[in-house]
Amino acid sequence: MNVTIQEQDGNMVAILVGSLDTAAAAETEKALSPLNDVEGKNIILDCTDLTYISSAGLRIFLAILQNAQEKGGHVYIKGINDSVRAIFNITGFSHIFEFI
Amino acid sequence: MEVDSLVFWGFNLHAWITIVTVLSMFTVLLFTKLRADLVFLGAIAILFVTGVLDAKEAFSGFSSPSVVVIGVLFVVVAGLTHTGVLQWIVKNLLGQPKSYCSAVARLMLPVAALSSFLSNTTVVALFVGIVKMWSKKLGISPSKLLIPLSYASGMGGVCTLIGTPPNLIISGLYTDHTGNAMNVLATTLPGLFCLFIGILSIIAFRRLLPDRKAPESDSEDTVEYTAELIVPSTHQFIAKTIGKANMFHVEGCRLLKWRHFDDAPVPINENEILMGGDHLLYAGRTKAIIELAKEHGLILGDEVVNVGYGTAISALIMLAMVVVSALGIMPLLQCAFIAAAAMLLFRCCSPHQAMKAINWDILMVFAGSVVLGLAIQKTGIAERLAFGILDVCGTNPIVVMTAICFVGTFITEFISNTAAGAMFFPIMYEAAEKLGYEPYPFLIALMISVSSSFATPIGSPTHMLVYAPGGYRFSDFMRIGLLMNIIILAANIFIVSVVYPLTPLQ
Repeated sequence: MNVTIQEQDGNMVAILVGSLDTAAAAETEKALSPLNDVEGKNIILDCTDLTYISSAGLRIFLAILQNAQEKGGHVYIKGINDSVRAIFNITGFSHIFEFI
Repeated sequence: MEVDSLVFWGFNLHAWITIVTVLSMFTVLLFTKLRADLVFLGAIAILFVTGVLDAKEAFSGFSSPSVVVIGVLFVVVAGLTHTGVLQWIVKNLLGQPKSYCSAVARLMLPVAALSSFLSNTTVVALFVGIVKMWSKKLGISPSKLLIPLSYASGMGGVCTLIGTPPNLIISGLYTDHTGNAMNVLATTLPGLFCLFIGILSIIAFRRLLPDRKAPESDSEDTVEYTAELIVPSTHQFIAKTIGKANMFHVEGCRLLKWRHFDDAPVPINENEILMGGDHLLYAGRTKAIIELAKEHGLILGDEVVNVGYGTAISALIMLAMVVVSALGIMPLLQCAFIAAAAMLLFRCCSPHQAMKAINWDILMVFAGSVVLGLAIQKTGIAERLAFGILDVCGTNPIVVMTAICFVGTFITEFISNTAAGAMFFPIMYEAAEKLGYEPYPFLIALMISVSSSFATPIGSPTHMLVYAPGGYRFSDFMRIGLLMNIIILAANIFIVSVVYPLTPLQ
């Protein structure tokens, strides 16, 4: 699992590549922790190359969302493939996040 | 004044007191909501005070082996319930039929098959709890299935000579009279035909079965039910904590295990978040878990049966009881006492659970019905009724056979099937010989008719076993039972005359 965070057009963009399974969750959470300090910017989770997301991965996404919402920010999910979208649908998380 | 000197319409004073008592008792049971046990005790008191029965006879019901065996079987069944045996049977043997018709067939056929070689009382005692759990799963009121259960055991018992005591009595008396033994499967074909007609009739007249909300028994209340509830993706508390969703502290059940859609286990903590596709395993009272599912829009998943050491032990105890009594090594009463003791010894149920499982009201009613049967026998009401009807029947053998079977079916509603079999054997045998016909077919028809008591709950111990769990009223049995009595009587006479054509005596 590979995570890159960069600023693009005034948004903080986290690019996730690989499979966010249970084993990779702790490492990914650590890699995404800088997003907790983001203020006044929207966060985009770029999942174009994310092949799988586990329940542990969804909890990380949710924690980022709740943190951003407390600060008045938005979290957008970008470019998820069909299998990851199916997981979002099954878990009902497709109603929680905004997709671009 | 001599009681026997006062005879009116062929019945003496004691017989009339018994008739009036029985009719009054039925009227009270049908038209008032007085407790059945109280009504029966009142009837016993009248028969005792008026001298119809002496003290020993009046209270003989409380020491009757058939009454005591039911009480002891309640404890055996408690052991089976609390160790998950009944739950296992529901899940693996009865399954999940799609319609009421297939549920009735799926229940009645195996029950009838088991009853054809095991004691009907044992089979029904075992299945009452099973059917209650099953009906909850199917969303059918238990009252729609418990009467068919009891009827199936009665009709199944008739299918072999060893299936029910009246068959043994009648065949034994036949052997004594003729020196010829009846084949153990003599009643199989007629019995199966009547069973088939019986199942079709239950399905056809299912509207006559009440749709009662049966009371949750004390024993069921304490039974640990374990079921998985699934969180739908549209649930309003998705991504919220389980505590906030009010699904953590639930009265009557507790959360045992929790896993997300990817099988990742979730710690049992009220601050954990819910996701669609979560599987929540709750244990506790059936009612509490079903209500939790309804109130929170959760999907009721599979019932989880915790099969373990206790399950195997209690199943073995039950099997040993059934085999030892079926092989005649020991009477059912003794076997049941040993099995009940073993259930307690091996901690399949606690002494408290065992005592709570015994339904004392039912035992009281059953004891009362035994005493009532005794009064009817003692005062000669049944014989007089049969001979009175024979006088107006003429010489047509089918009419005579039908008339005696009709009276037999009627009388067996009040007295035990075994007593009815013994009482009606000489009447049927003599009537057949007098008409110049071989008594064999007449006796086969008699066997079926004395076991066809469908119209009152006191007609059979198995009816008493389903009476309280089904939440039935006295009149419920009459509504479908009277019709069943007539249908089975017609089926009985038809099939017996086809399978065993009447032959003149050589």
